[in-house]
Amino acid sequence: MSEHIPGRILKAQSGEAVSVLVTKERVQTQSRAAVLGRRFLSNLPVVLIYAYLVVMTIFALFPMYYVVQASLAGDQNLYSTTLQLLPSHITFANYVYAFTQEPVFNWVINTTIVCGLATLIGVIFSMTGAYALSRFRFRGRELSLSFLLALQAFPGLLAITAYYYLLSYLNLLNTAPLIGLALIYAAGDLVFGTWNIKGYFDTLPVALEQAAMIDGATMWQAFLRITLPLAAPALAASALFMFVGGYTEFALANFVLNANSNGSNLTFILGLNALQGTYITPWGYFAATSVIISIPLMALFLYASRYFQTGLTVGGVKE
Amino acid sequence: MLTVKRRTIFAYLLPIIVTILLINMTPILYTLYLSFTNNTEFNQEYNFVGLTNFFNLFNSTNSDLFYVLGLTVLYVIICVALFVLIGMVTALALNHPKVKGRAIWMALLLVPWAAPAAITALIWKFLFNYDFGPINQIGRLFFGSHFGVPWLTNPVAAFAAVVIVNVWLSYPFFTVVILGALSSVPQELAEAASVDGANAWQTFWRVKFPLLRPAITPVTILSAITTFQMFTTVYLITAGGPITSADRPGATTFVMIYMYNQVLGASAANIHYGAIASFAITVFIILGALTFLARALGTRRSEARA
Repeated sequence: MSEHIPGRILKAQSGEAVSVLVTKERVQTQSRAAVLGRRFLSNLPVVLIYAYLVVMTIFALFPMYYVVQASLAGDQNLYSTTLQLLPSHITFANYVYAFTQEPVFNWVINTTIVCGLATLIGVIFSMTGAYALSRFRFRGRELSLSFLLALQAFPGLLAITAYYYLLSYLNLLNTAPLIGLALIYAAGDLVFGTWNIKGYFDTLPVALEQAAMIDGATMWQAFLRITLPLAAPALAASALFMFVGGYTEFALANFVLNANSNGSNLTFILGLNALQGTYITPWGYFAATSVIISIPLMALFLYASRYFQTGLTVGGVKE
Repeated sequence: MLTVKRRTIFAYLLPIIVTILLINMTPILYTLYLSFTNNTEFNQEYNFVGLTNFFNLFNSTNSDLFYVLGLTVLYVIICVALFVLIGMVTALALNHPKVKGRAIWMALLLVPWAAPAAITALIWKFLFNYDFGPINQIGRLFFGSHFGVPWLTNPVAAFAAVVIVNVWLSYPFFTVVILGALSSVPQELAEAASVDGANAWQTFWRVKFPLLRPAITPVTILSAITTFQMFTTVYLITAGGPITSADRPGATTFVMIYMYNQVLGASAANIHYGAIASFAITVFIILGALTFLARALGTRRSEARA
């Protein structure tokens, strides 16, 4: 726009120069337009790339955004057939409901018991097993490692009937189903954990333990005081993987845990799934509850991602 | 290596041996045993019937095996093709020299990866709701108030829905892998190709893609195997439905969901544990073969590189 102003001023000053100037200006703007056009064309791929990235970002974030805004909207806003991307008024009523009317705290405790116990058993058992497989040489060592891999290819879901019988045989099904569930998770975690931690042990020099043992430490002490602290990244990464894996496991939990009248004996994901009723779903309560469940897990995941880089990549390397 | 007494080795291995024998092996062996019996829910006095269950599975006209397997393979092929395609396009877009703020784009695009999958599945079920779900609401903005895709009740739409969710969940992983591989492709190669007169398309297919293939192949096989045994996400959205005919499983009944519905489904009357076990063993053999094949391919490639 500002380029036109000198032309207008000149036009006002002298009438005869006007026609010349106008044609000159037109030539200039034409060539400028051509330059801009060419620049636009050469930048067109970049513009398209940005457009693509924006679309993919909306695709990536939309479900989370929608659920967060739905949790802040009143329940009634959601029963509408037209799109509402912003709550008309922000209210925490859904969160209040979730914390007061739903057994959210029971779900937290149940999930923590199951995942915590599974992780504890998984890490402790796999670290001694991994130590033996990494440091000792014995007949059947290679075979055990291959066997563990083969075991990992077997999805636990396939043996679901047998798990049911096993837990009822161990008398856990009715007395302590959460512990039974934790045992099943732990057994699955062991396979992954042993391989991962063994891979990390392999990168640690055995000379450190040998030196400690020359100085009078027992093997158990060398293992506890020297190897384990050095393997902390791999242990942390394995533990987090195990914990997060159990946190939202649905199939076995749904099979083993039978909901009581208000669902207080369930884990998170079963409780959340139960909220999605067959006929009508309280979307506002559902949205608030899923936000409550997701936040700690996503925070844990983001916090853990720094460990994953060292703990998993090194451990994942083959011997 | 440490030399120790045999007893010490055994002590270190004891916890893992006991757990694996009791909790991993017993159910597997029991399933194998069940697959050779005619055990059903109301038949406690069951017998050993040899290979009858497997024979029924493969030969009987009302066997669901091939329908369910076909459906699963179709799902795997469509999903994995889309993972590679969208992962690749996104990685190439982020790798473009003029694109700024790559770290921020990556962080935003990776959010689905960090979110707990089972919860996002339930959220997607909410988004797919016919009347109140925002996807149909967006459609109504463009196509009028009568628009609506019956996402969860039409077989094709339900299949598409679980494909969309799986793509949403998994393609960021491919983007990360491909972007990592792309950054190790020297820029000079592409420049040399363009000096020699190759256009952008040729540069990609003839120069970059062959160098990316070693990185893409293992993750493709890996996600084909995980998609094959996918359960939670699909089950929470469709539960294997919608069922369109009485004598066939629903349109999203993939192998694991089929297994689960046979044992726990609403329509499961007089559950035939023997038949289910033989289905499980068959699926395990297929999965084991795929895993073995993938590992064989993987070692051959790393040997070739070494």
